[in-house]
Amino acid sequence: MNLHDIALAHTRRYFFGQTAAGIGAAALASLMNPRLFADDQAAPQPAAMGPSHGALPNFHHARKAKRVIWLFMADGPSQLDMFDYKPKMEEFFDKDLPDSVRNGQRITTMTSGQSRFPIAPSKFKFQQHGANGTWISELLPQIASVIDELCLIKSMHTEAINHDPAITYIQTGSQIPGRPSMGAWLSYGIGSPNADLPAYVVLHSRLAAGSQTQALFSRLWGSGFLPSKHQGVALRSSGDPVLYLSNPPGVDAETRRKMLDGLAELNKEKHEQIGDPEIVSRIAQYEMAFRMQTAVPELVDITKEEQSVLEMYGPEVKQPGTYAYNCLLARRLAERGVPFTQVFLRGWDHHGSLPQNIPQLCKAMDQPTAALIKDLKQRGMLEDTLVVWGGEFGRTIYSQGTLNKDTYGRDHHPRNFCMWMAGGGVKPGIVHGETDDFSYNVTEKPVHIHDLNATILHCLGINHEQLTYRFQGRDFRLTDVEGNVVKEILT
Amino acid sequence: MRSISILLALAMVEISPLATSAADKLNFNRDVRPILSDKCFRCHGFDENKREGGLRLDTAEGGTQKLESGATAIVPGKSDQSALVQRILSEDASLKMPPEDSGKKLSAAETTILRRWIEEGAEYQGHWSFIAPVRHELPKLNQSTTATNPIDVFVLARLERANLKPAPSADKTTLIRRATFDLTGLPPLPAEVDAFLADQSPEAFEKVIDRLLLSPRYGEHMARYWLDAARYGDTHGLHLDNERGIYPYRDYVISAFNENMPVNQFILEQMAGDLIPNATQRQKIATGFNRCNVTTSEGGSINDEVLVRYAVDRVETMSTAFLGLTLGCAVCHDHKYDPITQKEFYQLYAFFSASADAAMDGNTLLPPPFLKTPTPEQEEQLAALDTKLKEAEKTREERLKQLAAEYVDPGPQNVVSDERKDFVWIDDALPTGAKAEGEWKYLTKGDFADIPSGEKVHTQTGVGTVQHFFTGANPPLLIGDEDKLFGYVYLDSKNPPKTVMMQWNNGSWEHRAFWGEDAIPFGSDPTSAAHRHMGPLPELGKWVRLEVAAADVGLPGGSQVNGWAFTQADGTVTWDSAGLQTRTPQQGLQFESLAEWDTYQRSLKENKLPQPVQGIVKTEPDKRNEAQQQQLREYFLKNVYSKTKSTLQGLDAEVAEIAKKKTDLDNSLPASLIMQDMPKPRDTFVLIRGQYDKKGEQVQAAIPAALGKLPEGAPANRLGLAQWLTDPQHPLTSRVLVNRLWQQYFGVGLVKTAEDFGAQGEWPTHPELLDYLSRDLVDNNWDLKRLIKSILMSTTYQQSSRVTPELLQSDPQNELLSRGPRFRIDAEMLRDNALFLSGLLTEKVGGKSVKPYQPAGIWEAVGFQGSNTLNFKQDQGESLYRRSLYTYWKRTSPPPSMMSFDAPSRESCVVRRARTNTPLQALVLMNDTQFIEAARFFAQKMIAEGGESASTRLQYGFRLATSRTPNEREAALLTRIYETHLADYSKNQEAAKKLLEVGESKTTLPMEPSELAAYTMVANLILNLDETVTKE
Repeated sequence: MNLHDIALAHTRRYFFGQTAAGIGAAALASLMNPRLFADDQAAPQPAAMGPSHGALPNFHHARKAKRVIWLFMADGPSQLDMFDYKPKMEEFFDKDLPDSVRNGQRITTMTSGQSRFPIAPSKFKFQQHGANGTWISELLPQIASVIDELCLIKSMHTEAINHDPAITYIQTGSQIPGRPSMGAWLSYGIGSPNADLPAYVVLHSRLAAGSQTQALFSRLWGSGFLPSKHQGVALRSSGDPVLYLSNPPGVDAETRRKMLDGLAELNKEKHEQIGDPEIVSRIAQYEMAFRMQTAVPELVDITKEEQSVLEMYGPEVKQPGTYAYNCLLARRLAERGVPFTQVFLRGWDHHGSLPQNIPQLCKAMDQPTAALIKDLKQRGMLEDTLVVWGGEFGRTIYSQGTLNKDTYGRDHHPRNFCMWMAGGGVKPGIVHGETDDFSYNVTEKPVHIHDLNATILHCLGINHEQLTYRFQGRDFRLTDVEGNVVKEILT
Repeated sequence: MRSISILLALAMVEISPLATSAADKLNFNRDVRPILSDKCFRCHGFDENKREGGLRLDTAEGGTQKLESGATAIVPGKSDQSALVQRILSEDASLKMPPEDSGKKLSAAETTILRRWIEEGAEYQGHWSFIAPVRHELPKLNQSTTATNPIDVFVLARLERANLKPAPSADKTTLIRRATFDLTGLPPLPAEVDAFLADQSPEAFEKVIDRLLLSPRYGEHMARYWLDAARYGDTHGLHLDNERGIYPYRDYVISAFNENMPVNQFILEQMAGDLIPNATQRQKIATGFNRCNVTTSEGGSINDEVLVRYAVDRVETMSTAFLGLTLGCAVCHDHKYDPITQKEFYQLYAFFSASADAAMDGNTLLPPPFLKTPTPEQEEQLAALDTKLKEAEKTREERLKQLAAEYVDPGPQNVVSDERKDFVWIDDALPTGAKAEGEWKYLTKGDFADIPSGEKVHTQTGVGTVQHFFTGANPPLLIGDEDKLFGYVYLDSKNPPKTVMMQWNNGSWEHRAFWGEDAIPFGSDPTSAAHRHMGPLPELGKWVRLEVAAADVGLPGGSQVNGWAFTQADGTVTWDSAGLQTRTPQQGLQFESLAEWDTYQRSLKENKLPQPVQGIVKTEPDKRNEAQQQQLREYFLKNVYSKTKSTLQGLDAEVAEIAKKKTDLDNSLPASLIMQDMPKPRDTFVLIRGQYDKKGEQVQAAIPAALGKLPEGAPANRLGLAQWLTDPQHPLTSRVLVNRLWQQYFGVGLVKTAEDFGAQGEWPTHPELLDYLSRDLVDNNWDLKRLIKSILMSTTYQQSSRVTPELLQSDPQNELLSRGPRFRIDAEMLRDNALFLSGLLTEKVGGKSVKPYQPAGIWEAVGFQGSNTLNFKQDQGESLYRRSLYTYWKRTSPPPSMMSFDAPSRESCVVRRARTNTPLQALVLMNDTQFIEAARFFAQKMIAEGGESASTRLQYGFRLATSRTPNEREAALLTRIYETHLADYSKNQEAAKKLLEVGESKTTLPMEPSELAAYTMVANLILNLDETVTKE
């Protein structure tokens, strides 16, 4: 039993004063507001920062973003063929990567046995776009058209060299399973203004053509040692959008309502007998479940979207589960106040035949991504929505397997890769950081994944060092013991 | 505002029960250490590298010594002279402790405690949990009491100090339900409740406990908790997350609990069963505990790094599960709060440096070492087959010798010529070893006027890109220079495809040829071997032979193909035989002449023969010595010579058949991963910042100084480690175990942080009681059932869990045990309870994991293509209704209904589950097929056993679920709800029927659907009742 429950017990008179069906959203929201039972340990914050809906009593500083949409490009997209333009490499075709560049760094055992590391320049043409003339590959014409909104970071880096540890690392701050994911931290720390939808939503995109893919793991959106209610909820594209959401066949909303009314009455009776405040909380949870049964279908129903909007996201937008559909859903979630949405697009693991495969995958990704930016912008939501694009690492300049004028493959490369952000809190139309001529080492302004995560939290009004949770005697945080906010890119 | 002030008031009260009154002297461990640990040790603690200003506050010497600055932090008895006090009271931000950037802040109460402690003499104590538990004298109680159980005396003494009284005893119905859930994980039957109510003897409850402790359900229930700590799962947990064979370990745990194996032995066997002299098979299986860690076989992984992770995981699991310590903190640096150095961490790690399991699990079911565990009958069968096999092989060998003696090289038989012949690789059956994927739908000859070869063809119809294929054929198809791949195809003229494609796998699928439109996006560059356009679609409505030069699809001579895919865009496409036009001998192509075969092999760019034959062939014939010639001849006669094949055909078949039987039997044996040590352990080093490739000082296996040392005569290996863990004077092991037991029954442990008994953990609410229980366990031969019985027999356990507003004020979290436990049952118990109440539960102890209902698409959404746990295939029949501890645990995507109710993912050791209350949980209980089906059967049971009227039936159902008879209001309410549902379903029979169709098991009761549906909805309601899902 905790204070939350006691709070509920104290409000039960109010609660039962209305019919179960008629409980106002405001009443429930206040009932459910975890702030009421948050530990009041942290130093008091100026009230101007405003209260959060989670365990943090107040934001640490004024926030620029109210929510984040992370377009997660799982499996490590090739920075070399999309954003990191290396014209000099043309003349290095099939020449060995100089040892001075590799400098003895470790490489995966998939290519560590290769007798040589021949350089594979990108086959794709680059052009300058936007006010600052940022170089973008021909694979991304739509993203190029919104480049003035983006803050492109070319100097991302990580230590992990394989998918499983690397993606676990960027999502949870540790390469070893067991820590909460960023979304779970946010759900715990700042909660959600919308009590009818989860605070952390995960959308999986079906595999697009040209995919070479790896697995995902539920730990990537798991709550680790945080209470399990903070884990990401994966909205599914077939079956129930939220697991177990629909009533079974033969039970309509009215029948469920009647059953729940009976349930509440009997539970209330039990509460009279035993006095356990947990019972009141349980009644409230059932009411929330009932309202989710309406709120979620309404969320995924895109039939009322304007035709022009649908067209912007491209022809696949109407098929549930496509990346295009998920981007649209991400916007709808943002509109409903959901603080953290991650859209996963797998398939960037192009160890071989990259030039043959990546164009289709880029095609599936490019238009919906740009559409999301434009759509948020035209609704005035880009100002307080932070969009993040990127994956767990990059890919090598040298070819894995066959290299000829038609084809090449690229191995994992953690030493530098590209990500971008747009919207709430970051400067639009800038490029941050630089890499060497081989896109092999960061030469300017390195941004570690911990720095990225710290920066995202910063935009949300959170000091990443002060969002902590005591577990096994230690105060854990998302960025472990690292992380520096990248101030230069902030507005 | 009003509610907030109430909350604040309550928050103050919440702290009070454990706080000391002003009269008592402060106790360092209880009152002071937690403050120092949380606010100061980070910079002034045990970790030498992070120590600021030369000050350490975790020891008396450190706290009272004169510092570099000249100040003294603690002057015992003189708080005003103590720099510590000056600094914590300072208003100057540059002096104030803790510094602002630490994010830590002392409350006024904490400041007062520190000052008072120094005033009282600043006495230090060693950390409580590192001092072996002793039997404390029973405290004296003020009031006379009937308490006879020492547990109650400790609890009452504590209550007296807080001026509280224990709650009255729970009523008998509540009591038997509580005990039955606690000991078996399931509720009591009404008959059991009745018998207990009728038994007026003083021993009535004791009899119930004795009965329950003998139930095999007890072991299953206990095992479930243990498996959380052991991080048991049915898959490897990383990357592919393929299936793992280790369920016999789970069976071991269940049986060990059921036979009440002494806990010290139980731990010893799990930690080091393999090292016990003359270890039994069962003791080896027990070591699966240390093989439950997650493993990988991800391409590109670096072995040394992965091995470090495995060993670290083992140390962390041991420390959480048995020591209640968070040693993981010392992987990278000295522990900040507990006296464990980084070096000592690696000394513990060294106990696992001899582990024989490899870094890469190979994605196999049984990465070695493992143990097969045949039954005696199976062993006999195996032996018999083995004898038979040897005999058959001997006969064959003799016949071969005879052939060899008779062999004369007949000279070239013109088999090897320029002429290529069709080698049909795929026809009515797939090549050996092939693993079929996608839909292989066969039609017989009869569906066509004629087919190119054999009796069967395979066909597929689809929209968009569809395909069926296989990989893993062994022996592979051997491609020769200038060979052609072929396949026969028939395109339906009524439903033609846009495109047909064949793809070949030589390790990758980047070898494709297609005919028709460019509608299949695989490897799309039309100029490449990965996407070779061959021309227009073949003619519709007739069999056409498709041919592709192997080299054109990137398969030059010497390539080996192990997989073939038949792919199409739209339409209906039928395929028949496929293979290779070749002169390369495939399995089935024969030679009669040794010389000719030799010449052929030497003509190949690369021969694929095994060593040493491969080398001999490469040697010029005249340079081969006699032994080599003999070897080559033997190889040829054994493996290639066509007459051998024909002569030995019958014998070969016999050998193969027996061998297959033997393999089949062998594969069907239960097998389990075990621990084994290599003869020579790997060297162990301190890893700087925990990085696998930054080796520091070399270390040997040893116990951290603060925790004692290996017992006299114990070896410095896992066995010694296990002997140390189970030493009767070990300060932690028994405390940690009894605390978890307490947590199991009371919802919260005596040490709330069951996973952390270190300086950052919670101080025990009843330290003497914890010690008493711990000594009681150890001194009675680690007899677990005895201890459990004594806990359940205590008045403390038997208290009513009714909460009053006064109790909420005085003991809000029940830390003082002023009432009985009341909390939501765990995920597994919820499901087991529903199955039990409905009569669907299949009780069968042990065996392989099962796959009950799970919403479609959950594994597929995240799974790795090529993982053998990519596709979830639900079981049928009784496997849907086993107890939940047998539910298949895929660690990257665990059973979703369990996850909703706070089950851990089993990727790492967990000894305390969260207990949340969420809307997603409500959805599971309301809508999960498992629970809806259970509701229907529960309804049938009410009807069949609950008398004639709706009201008696509903009351019976209520009683089944809660063990008690509903009161009048409740009974009336149930009837009213039933009648409402009945009225609705009578108007909508279709809906009723639909509800009754949920689940695999058919309704057995002849009844109006509307009536049964109405009962089902009430059953659904009862299964969702707070009281049903709660142990109280």
